[in-house]
Formats: sequence, structure tokens, C-alpha cells
Amino acid sequence: MKPASSTAPVDAFLEESAATASAVSIRGLDYFFGQGELRKQVLYDINLTLPKGQIVIMTGPSGSGKTTLLTLIGALRSIHEGSLQVLGQELRGLGNSKLVEVRRNIGFIFQAHNLFESLTASQNVEMAVELVGNFKNKRQQAAAMLGQLGLGERVSYKPASLSGGQKQRVAIARALVNEPQLILADEPTAALDKKSGRDVVTIMQHLAKNEGRTILMVTHDNRILDVADRIINLVDGRLESDETLSHFQETHDPKKLDGQMFIL
Amino acid sequence: MKRVPLSVLNLLHDRSRLLVAIAGVAFAVLLIFMNLGFLGALLSTTTNFYEQFNGDIFLMSPQSLEISSTEPFPRTRLYQVAGVEGVQRVMPLYSDYVLWKNPETGISRAMFVYGYNLQDPVFLMPEVNTPEGIRILQQPNTVFIDRLSRPEFGPQTTGLVTESDRRQVTIGGQYSLGGGFAADGTLLMSDQNFRRYFAPRPLTQINMGILLLEPGTNPQKVKEALRALLPADVNIFTKAEIIEHDSTYWLQTTSIGFIFGLGVLVSFVVGTVIVYQILYTDIRDHLREYATLKAMGYSSWFLFKVVLQEAALLAGMGYVPGLIVSLGLYRLTVNATEGALPMQMTLFRVVLVLVLALTMCSLSGLISVRRAMTADPAEVFA
Repeated sequence: MKPASSTAPVDAFLEESAATASAVSIRGLDYFFGQGELRKQVLYDINLTLPKGQIVIMTGPSGSGKTTLLTLIGALRSIHEGSLQVLGQELRGLGNSKLVEVRRNIGFIFQAHNLFESLTASQNVEMAVELVGNFKNKRQQAAAMLGQLGLGERVSYKPASLSGGQKQRVAIARALVNEPQLILADEPTAALDKKSGRDVVTIMQHLAKNEGRTILMVTHDNRILDVADRIINLVDGRLESDETLSHFQETHDPKKLDGQMFIL
Repeated sequence: MKRVPLSVLNLLHDRSRLLVAIAGVAFAVLLIFMNLGFLGALLSTTTNFYEQFNGDIFLMSPQSLEISSTEPFPRTRLYQVAGVEGVQRVMPLYSDYVLWKNPETGISRAMFVYGYNLQDPVFLMPEVNTPEGIRILQQPNTVFIDRLSRPEFGPQTTGLVTESDRRQVTIGGQYSLGGGFAADGTLLMSDQNFRRYFAPRPLTQINMGILLLEPGTNPQKVKEALRALLPADVNIFTKAEIIEHDSTYWLQTTSIGFIFGLGVLVSFVVGTVIVYQILYTDIRDHLREYATLKAMGYSSWFLFKVVLQEAALLAGMGYVPGLIVSLGLYRLTVNATEGALPMQMTLFRVVLVLVLALTMCSLSGLISVRRAMTADPAEVFA
């Protein structure tokens, strides 16, 4: 069943994205879970373009398909309908080993740090460096990355002796060390206190602004919304809104709410 | 720089779990070594008396199963080959069971008897090769008794007189030979005495023909020459071949091969289950990390290798202590049984068990690796 005319998302950046090459380009993406009778549609006609150098925050109630969209862009699932281009590569119809190749160009940051407890911070990061075959100076590369994230003193610590924020920063170092053009993050600050969370997003903001990385982040954390260039809202598998930060702030700022609406 | 040794570090991370795993593998290796050791020792006790036989080539009827159940064949066969080049001496050997009465309890038991011409150096035991020993054996109704006979046969004092198949018999001396699996005790007597005890059996029918070769002769060459001369009513064995022949008989026709083979199999399965349990727990605990590796762009093949490496490492780390403890227990067994159970480590067994340990661990690795291979990177985001 085809969804009834989906509310056309306001692509505020259409003009801009045409000028610069986009990191992610999605056209008419439908996605289903299950097979046959149990087949259930979770994403409806998604059209989305992420230009390079942009930080995009994706919000939406749980079960709206945010994570599914993220895993599709991350080449962790294969798409069936529509078109999905990541870093210039069409993912539809790619085989498993090709998908693995695509993933190597994407940095993943998860809600949990997912570090190997048996490896030191440096070794955990080196595991990523080894993927691109750079064995010669992987130690220096890992140490430099950890240094950038303020963990220069902690390179040979194991995760058990690091704090939550430090662990998440190691995970970020692992995701960033190969300088991926696209970074996908799923609630990267959920497990962190206010200060650590702020540190983490500042690092990301820095990367996007200075090095032109594209970041797509799923979050419910209102404290970090200010770093976004753009906020998209996904509801029940449909893109409900796509707006700039300032517009979002205007419409969501409690001070600007019309006092009349609270009067009965 | 080398790759981060993920398999090693994962194993070393949880030391107590690693110790349990090593102990498990070592225990399985130990059980396999002990089973093989007992099997080997028992098999060698079935045939170790051949070492005291002073011969290089043995003739036996094709209908004979092993040394204690032989079918007699004509002595002429022996004389037919006495002139073959390289043959120094041909010696007939007679054997049969006789009932031996324990003089203290009056109970009779079957005793295995070897009879031979006293001029022939059939046996290597020093007691029966002295002029004095030969003189004693020449006396009628006089025998030497095996010190390794079971105690149920009674005292073995020289000069003791008892009964054997309604005939008086005098113990003239002792020697150490051992009866293998078939005989609880053995006697040696002259062929003339053998004729007396086993009348009316003629001396022209012999149980085994023993050939002593000139020093430096190749037994295999002589065997071929004999084969060309002799009809098919005798089988020809070199010493190694007859030991192998008898061992095979005991291995195949008794349950000892089955019992210890089953022991090895059970130990193997126990080891496999222990290693599987360890590896599976390890994979389950690290499933999110493995899935993350896949999300980063590692292939399933990489995870496959990590798990198999862990399996191989466990095999190696468990094998060494297993081998060391087994060597100690082998020595302990030999001491405890005063040499009756000659447990000896052979190079073949060392290699065989190492291969078994590696197979065991790889097998459990292969069973448990499926879980890691199916780790879905998309689930890490959930």
C-alpha cells in the first residue's frame, strides 16, 4: 500500500545542496520490516539531501523510524525501494561485501561506547586505523586523535579505568580517526552528563565547520540542539518538518508562545 | 607495526575465565593421554614377552590367532629352511596349557607351558642359559616357573613338588618373562618333559618356529627367501611383525580397544564442550563490540579468524600443562604397578594428542563462531 500523499518536506537547503556535492541523497525511499503477511512499512517516501559540512539533527518520537533511517544510510541494512546515495555511491542493490566497503568511509558513534574492554584506548582506535591498512604509524595516528579529544594522557588506559565521557570520546576518536566524510551518531550524549555531552558535540561541531564533515545525529537531548545547522523531524516514518535552527527555535521557544492559547 | 592481537587480548582480559578454560582443555588432554597410555601399556603387556625371545623370524600356522592359541604345524617346515642363506639356527617351540595345582590351597589353574630343545637358546633370560640351569631342566618332571605368574599359583620355591595334570612336578628354578593377556602364569620345560606331560602329542608337530639369523642379516630379505620356499601352511613374521600381529589380535578381538577408544572419544567431547562454553560466553559478552567492528567495516571473515585464533590458543595453552601432568601420571602409574603397566610416552602419541586438541578447539570454535558471524551491526543502533 502506497502512503497517501505524504506531506512534502520543506527542503530549505535545496538550492544550496545543488551547488555543493551532497554527502547523502535520498529519493523516494520506502522501507519495510518483515515479509508477506507480517510486512510492515516503517519509512514512507523519504526525500532528503545532506550537503557536505552540515550538522543535521534528526528528532522524532521513538518508533518513528529514526534509527532505521540511520542504519540504512550507514549501509548496515540494504534498501529495497527508492534511491539512496551515500558519498556518491548508490546503495540499492549492493552486495554484502560492497556494503562493508561503504561502511569503511562512515564513522559510527553509538549510544553505548562499544569499546573492547580488553584493549587500551589506543588499541581500540587502532582497530579502526587497521581497516584502511595503515599499520606503520597507526599508534601515532590513534594517539594524535585521542590527543585532539583531550585524552592524550589516557591512551594506554583500558575502558574500565576511564569515565563515561572519556569512554565516549574514545569511541568518537575511533569513529573519526580515518577522517570519514560522513559521521552517523545515535544519541551520542545520552549516557553523558551535561559537561561531557557538551564537550562531545563541540568536537563534532568543530569537525563539521573546519573540515567539512557531514554529521547526522539522532538525539532527544535538547541541550545540544544549538549545534545543528538543520533539524529534521521524523514522525511515523514520514519526514514531518525540515527547518533551520533559527526557525526551529522560533517555533519551539516557550517565550514566543502565544499566551492566548492557554486561556480557555 | 603489527595488527592489534585482539584474540590474545580478549583471552587474557578475563584471567579467571582463561584459567578455567586452560584447566578444561588440560583436563581433556590429560584424559586422552591417560586413555591412550593405558591402551598402549595393556597392548604392550600382551606382547612384551617377545622381547625375551631370541629370534629374528617366527613361523606360525595361518590358523594360529596369537601365541597362546596356536595350531601345530609340521616341524619339517623348519628344517626345510634351515639352509637358507643368513639363517644361523632354526629352533622349534612347543606350547600348551597345563593345569597347575597350588600346593597350599589344592586348587588347580591353567598354566601356559613352553617346551624347547635345551640345546637351543630360545629364550634370553639368564637363568635358563647357565650350564647349571640347563642341567636342572634336563631332569625329568622338572620345570622353571615364571616369577611374574599370578600369586594364585602358589609358592615358587625351588625344590617344591606339586601336581600338574596328574603328574608330579618339581620347581627347578625361576625366571621373569610374563604371560601377556592370555596366560596367568608360564612354565619352561625341556622338549622331553613336554613330550611326557602332553603325551601322546608327537614332537614332530610344533607350535612356533623360531629362526635366529646371522648378525647383520636383513630379516626382510630372508623372509622373502623363505616365502618362496615354504608352502602356504605357514605364516612368516619378523619380530616386529609378530608383535604387531598379536597386538592387533588383542585390540580387535577384545573390548580393551573399544573401552579406551570410547574413553578417548568421551574426553574429546568433554573438551569440545568446555571450549565451546568458554568461546560462546566470550562471544556473547562481546557481541556488541563484534557488531561494532562489522559496522566499522570489518568482514565476518575477520571475526571468524579471531574466534578460531582464540580456539587454537586455548588448545596450545591447555595442551602443555596437560602433557606435563600426563608425563607425571605415567611415571606414577609405572611406579605404582611396579612396572607391570609400562606406560610410555611415544612421539606419535604426543603429536596425535596435539592434533586432537587442536581439532577439539577448532571444532568448538566453528560451532560457536556462527553466533559472532551473525552479529547484526544494525542491532547495535537499537
